[in-house]
Amino acid sequence: MIDISERLPTEWYRYYAKHRTATIAATSGLLYAGGWSIGYFAGLDTASVAILILAAVVGGYDIARQGYHEVRNRTLGIKTLVTLAAIGAIAIGAYWEAAAVVFLFSLGSYLEGRTMRKTRTALQELLEMTPDTATVRRDGELKEVPAREVETGETVVVKPGEKLPVDGEVRTGESAVNQAPVTGESAPVYKTDGDEVYAGTINQAGSLEVRTTGAGSDTTLQRIIRRVEQAQEAQSSTERLIDRFAKYYTPGVIALSIVAFAVTRNAMLSLTLLVIGCPGALVIGPPVSVVSAIGNAARNGVLMKGGEHLETAGTIDLVAFDKTGTLTRGEPTVADVEGFGVEDREALTLAAVAEKKSEHHLADAIVEAAHERPAAVADGGTVAVEETASPPGESYSIPDPDEFDVVAGKGVVARHDGREIVVGNRTLLDDCDVEVPADVEEHVREREQHGETAVLVADDAAVVGVVAIRDELREAAPGVIESLRAAGVETAMLTGDNKRVATAAAEAVGIDDYRAELLPEDKQAIVEELGEDHTVAMVGDGINDAPSLATADVGIAMGAAGTDTAIETADMALMADDLGHIPYAVTLSKATRRNVYENVAIAIATVALLLAGVLTSYVTLASGMLVHEASVLAVIGNGMRLLRY
Amino acid sequence: MSETTQFRVLDFDCPTCASTVERALQNAAGVERVEVHYATGRVEIEYDTTVVDPETFAQTIEQQGYTPQRA
Repeated sequence: MIDISERLPTEWYRYYAKHRTATIAATSGLLYAGGWSIGYFAGLDTASVAILILAAVVGGYDIARQGYHEVRNRTLGIKTLVTLAAIGAIAIGAYWEAAAVVFLFSLGSYLEGRTMRKTRTALQELLEMTPDTATVRRDGELKEVPAREVETGETVVVKPGEKLPVDGEVRTGESAVNQAPVTGESAPVYKTDGDEVYAGTINQAGSLEVRTTGAGSDTTLQRIIRRVEQAQEAQSSTERLIDRFAKYYTPGVIALSIVAFAVTRNAMLSLTLLVIGCPGALVIGPPVSVVSAIGNAARNGVLMKGGEHLETAGTIDLVAFDKTGTLTRGEPTVADVEGFGVEDREALTLAAVAEKKSEHHLADAIVEAAHERPAAVADGGTVAVEETASPPGESYSIPDPDEFDVVAGKGVVARHDGREIVVGNRTLLDDCDVEVPADVEEHVREREQHGETAVLVADDAAVVGVVAIRDELREAAPGVIESLRAAGVETAMLTGDNKRVATAAAEAVGIDDYRAELLPEDKQAIVEELGEDHTVAMVGDGINDAPSLATADVGIAMGAAGTDTAIETADMALMADDLGHIPYAVTLSKATRRNVYENVAIAIATVALLLAGVLTSYVTLASGMLVHEASVLAVIGNGMRLLRY
Repeated sequence: MSETTQFRVLDFDCPTCASTVERALQNAAGVERVEVHYATGRVEIEYDTTVVDPETFAQTIEQQGYTPQRA
């Protein structure tokens, strides 16, 4: 008994508190409809008026309270205007107009609040991806602890089907991990020893033991969310302009309404001016577009900086790509070895000895090939597989060079067994006074026309071999260039490779313009030069090409999930190492810019139309409010289209 | 000692609403810095712990007619 009497009112109250704006709008609407209908019956005029006033009071209480605080805080806004209009309408006896204005406004506010809540909570859903607890191995035992209390270096056990509670490195186990919450990739990624994994991703198959590198607020997902929010909050110059305008606009409308009354003595006209002068659609439109676009991008693994940056990104008309690791996979492999005067195998071994201590990515490819292959097997079978002491698959041991010097951008010079080994490009051989015979030249040219990088090997001032290295183009590359062209965006490729290699790559992907033989600082200069006539986006890995990314109007870093600097600094960061997201990011920026302009246009056109309507007496208080609220909902709806872009 | 606290207001229905709350918080005692964002509904307040308890900020926001949530 007691239970029911105590529970019911509180539950009812809780329900009301949660749906307060909806309840108020509905009640006000019902009262309005009721009061308006009874007005048609003779003799019920007083009742009708009373109900209509009640409708205005019920619907208007919250609006008036917020309007009062607007006045107190000197941030005159829409609620002040609506309150003035409603009070004014009641004062001149326009009861049903007052009730209509209040009802329409509270209904509109409810719908606006509801849709904005949806965009505001989109990110929270991402956060809820991270589990609250983690299973940690402590003192040889498995313990369940709060995820944010896991310390760096501790081992977390993640069973199949579980979400990862922390960032870390796989220590044992292997599994397919769905990284969509962090990178936007739909296909699961295979993870094993030493691979990085992220909090919020889903372990789909095997059991994983993960050494923690970040927990709680120090995870990649948390950093993404922080950055996305900052982006959504950053105002562009258009938004700032509108905000500043709105600040003077509302007092301006009030002044206009007073002047109108003084001149025309038409109270209805001046009250209508108050309502249609509300700056609603104008101030709401641009932020809704921007928040929707940035939120959509984040869900697809693309982090965009907001405000100014997004506005610039909307005008991109040229995308410059760094070749290695961007248009190509960035995994160079030895495609062919040709010995001149020596066996192919010997040429490769010599090259590997010289390059063993180098950290250049081409050096890694050479050393790896020399380790693994009994003989370099070439495309087209030009190299015979020679008899080897060790069976295929077993690794060769490569001796260390006695001396070793890196010549930046050219190659290496090393000493071994009293011989001088020079491994590098044509320029390095020229520098070392090594003559390159015609047949070698011919071979080099041929390899380069295939898009391979030819590395010359010289032993005591005589060329003994050419190692051709291939870095496969990404499958997505030609499609990406095509999509950009279709969107009216030019493309360019920047590379340190020589001209022939660059030509082959540029032709294969169908790129418009390419610049070859560039040193890192040259790339920056080219980006600057392209920027004179274009809004340039530069795509790179965000680490080696950080300077040119910073120089470009819009710097786009690929594969940023593991590199925090790229997440923080790039104007756009693709979390996945997926070139295919570039056209999406570029066209979404353009769509956003267009969307902002559409919204501003809708707002201004509506106000202009309404103003004309008021001055010609076609538009009155209620219809003015209806059209105004419709325009607000129209810009919100238009902006939210970007959520589904 | 100054500290920072955050709230989330999901029912801002216009940018002015956010400015109004921002002004109101700015005028509250012990507040050193306020950010209120219409787009995300995020409210960030830096305040002097010796002067004010963050619970009063929730009340201030409610008083303006909006619903704060602890972030």
